[in-house]
Amino acid sequence: MIRRTAWMWVGLALAMAALPQLGGDYLIGLGITLLMWIALAESWIVLSGMTGYVSFGHAVFYGLGAYVMVVCWNNLPGWAGFLGAGLAAGLFALAIGYPVLRVRGPYFVILTYGLAELVKFLIINTEAALGKFGRLVFGAPPLATLYYLMLGLATLAVLIAWTVRRSRLGLGLAAIREDETAAENAGVPVARLKLIAFALSAAIPGMVGAVMALRSSYFEPLQAFSPTVSFNIVAMAVIGGGDDAPGPILGALFLVLLSELLWAHLPEVYMIILGLLVIGFVLFAPEGLHGRLQRLRRP
Amino acid sequence: MSAGLVLEGVGKNFGGLKAVSDVSFAVPEGAIVGLMGANGAGKTTLFALIAGNERPSEGAIRFDGPRIDGLSPDRVVKKGIARTFQIVRPFAGLSVRDNVRVAALYGRGGFAGSAEDWVAAVLDETGLAEQADKPAQALTLSGRKRLEVARALATRPRLLLLDEVLAGLTPTEVAEALVMLRAIQAKHGLAILVIEHVMKALMRLCATIVVLHHGLKIAEGTPEAIAADPAVIEAYLGESAAHA
Amino acid sequence: MSSLLSGQLLFAALATGGLYALVAFGLNLIYGTLRLLNVAHGEIVMLGAYAAYWAMTMMGGAPLFALPLAALLLGAFGFALYGGLFRLALSRPALMKRIEGNSLLLFFGVSIILQNAVSLVFSASPRANKADDALIAFADIQTSQSRLMAVAITFLVCLSLAIALKTSWAGRAVRAMIQNRDAAAIVGIPLDRLQAWSFAIGFAVAGLAGALVSLFEQISPFMGFPYTVAAFVVIILGGLGNLAGSLAAGLLLGVVETFGVAATSANWRSILVWGIFILVMLLKPQGLFGGSRR
Repeated sequence: MIRRTAWMWVGLALAMAALPQLGGDYLIGLGITLLMWIALAESWIVLSGMTGYVSFGHAVFYGLGAYVMVVCWNNLPGWAGFLGAGLAAGLFALAIGYPVLRVRGPYFVILTYGLAELVKFLIINTEAALGKFGRLVFGAPPLATLYYLMLGLATLAVLIAWTVRRSRLGLGLAAIREDETAAENAGVPVARLKLIAFALSAAIPGMVGAVMALRSSYFEPLQAFSPTVSFNIVAMAVIGGGDDAPGPILGALFLVLLSELLWAHLPEVYMIILGLLVIGFVLFAPEGLHGRLQRLRRP
Repeated sequence: MSAGLVLEGVGKNFGGLKAVSDVSFAVPEGAIVGLMGANGAGKTTLFALIAGNERPSEGAIRFDGPRIDGLSPDRVVKKGIARTFQIVRPFAGLSVRDNVRVAALYGRGGFAGSAEDWVAAVLDETGLAEQADKPAQALTLSGRKRLEVARALATRPRLLLLDEVLAGLTPTEVAEALVMLRAIQAKHGLAILVIEHVMKALMRLCATIVVLHHGLKIAEGTPEAIAADPAVIEAYLGESAAHA
Repeated sequence: MSSLLSGQLLFAALATGGLYALVAFGLNLIYGTLRLLNVAHGEIVMLGAYAAYWAMTMMGGAPLFALPLAALLLGAFGFALYGGLFRLALSRPALMKRIEGNSLLLFFGVSIILQNAVSLVFSASPRANKADDALIAFADIQTSQSRLMAVAITFLVCLSLAIALKTSWAGRAVRAMIQNRDAAAIVGIPLDRLQAWSFAIGFAVAGLAGALVSLFEQISPFMGFPYTVAAFVVIILGGLGNLAGSLAAGLLLGVVETFGVAATSANWRSILVWGIFILVMLLKPQGLFGGSRR
């Protein structure tokens, strides 16, 4: 059973790897979108799924990454901007993590949201002071290159989530989620572990933001730091369910397809369905799609 | 410096309220000391101070010489002190085995053999082996109390702080638990500081008993001496006799 | 805006602050009694604005008809939402375990549904009431008739809420419940009924606030969010569950925001609001005015 599942994932990865050879620009674009959400949601669960510290502000890492990329683009080689984006996001998480991660529960949720908004407006004001109102990126790499970058990020994010979940670190994070005080008294260095999880869950979204800045050839803070990014990540993780790697993949796949069907013509209807789905899953299927499927498999 | 736990004039204020003041006593290596007192006497606060959950307002706490007050709880665990909680705090969503595994992997470590063997041994000693793969939330109260002990024990402590692990259990369960605690103590050569309301159990288990009243230490001695101490009878036994 | 000491600015600050206090009151009431964080609270303000807009523009009603109507409609909506969704959520132990986090997700769902449903019905473009507004001036303050009325009503409602909370049976019961739910239940306070009423009153007040906003500002389906933000800042400042504190903090935020923006520039508004919020959160999470411990 485990072997069959493993082969299924390998097959899926290979199919995704072959996609640019098979499909046109539309399909590649759709693939990038899907992989982007997988990478973001997988990164998110490393913090929020595993520790229960629900971040409503992951757009901040995405936006920072995009910003670092466009600022670096004409001055440094592309790979430097790409890695710099991940580094900047990770370091930012480390820098703010210690005070921020002392705030628990719903306060943490709102705090992360507020931080993302604060950084957004700080960058808007900085850009305005520099006289920039949006930045264009010239000479971005071809779509297929971006696709493979994103595939790499998504795969890395899945592997990180999968590995952490099965590691000593993951067990410590789960203990924090269940009862932080009891975890501390069992010897878990909670502050350090939370900080590690925070940085791990920030770095890849930074690089995803960098790739997406190249993809759209444009950077505009309101868009790059849009709360919609944070919301979508949370919705996908909730709908996918759980604290393990398959959840976000299912959630992302489901919502990307739904959005593809509805977004272009009926964006409001898509958003309404999204709202209904979040409510429905929280109330009736808190274990998410992944949990449901697992339960079907072993009756 | 003497081995074991030493409290020197320890006090703790919450706002203007003195929960504990000027408490001094020692728990020598390998000894079992009982901590007694009515509700609100400051017993659990004292545990929180020793285990690093709270920082003392005054005084010093030493373990094998160096001070440990002000260390975070996980650092205290690594020094070799582990506590249980009066109101049990299992990692409810994790399996019983994973509960113990957390403590084994993050505790003081240094056990012979693999972590998995150590976890299995601890589950065995605490009588939880058969329920190891259940989620912790499925345990009965008696099971949860055992899990508290198992989790503390899995950190491989040298001093175990037990906070009312017998409260709420049936007489049979109390008897079983006492056997378990004695076996554990003997096997690991642990020192134990134990808070207990079940008086008989405390008298049977401990060589020394410390009595707290309104945050102050009012007596310390053998169970017999304590039972005969007029101050104790006045403050504690008198009170509970009045309740009965 | 030549001087920071102008009466005009003070008036604007009080107007904004009163509105914040009003909006935050409902948010804090629902948090205090149910431990639910309503991130859709701004959407309730938005619905109130649309209800008033609809009553005045399409039905030709007067403001004095539209305002109570908006409050009533939203109060009924609060009742319905509690009965339809949150009573169910609260009855599930698995959800209750992390009810604060889960309620956030539920309200988040409600929020995007409301935004988009209104956008679907009324279209996403902003609208404005065309009230025939006379300008009024006294001392160095210039304002419109409707704005003055809005400020007066805001303060009237805030005051009556504060008094009702102190003196009425329901007010005392609610305060008891905020302090200790279990004890409140033991002394026979009907929790379920009060919770339903908390939703109804909280929503009605937010709806009224929205209706007031619609008298002098453009409305859009996405106008609500800044009010959610402001209300969160206010209740964090004033202390979660501390209703009197949130009234004071609402005014404070209005003053700080208005004067802060006047001293710098409009670009700094959000930075100011979020900056205050984050600082308070990190330094003094139990609120500036004390209140219950976390």
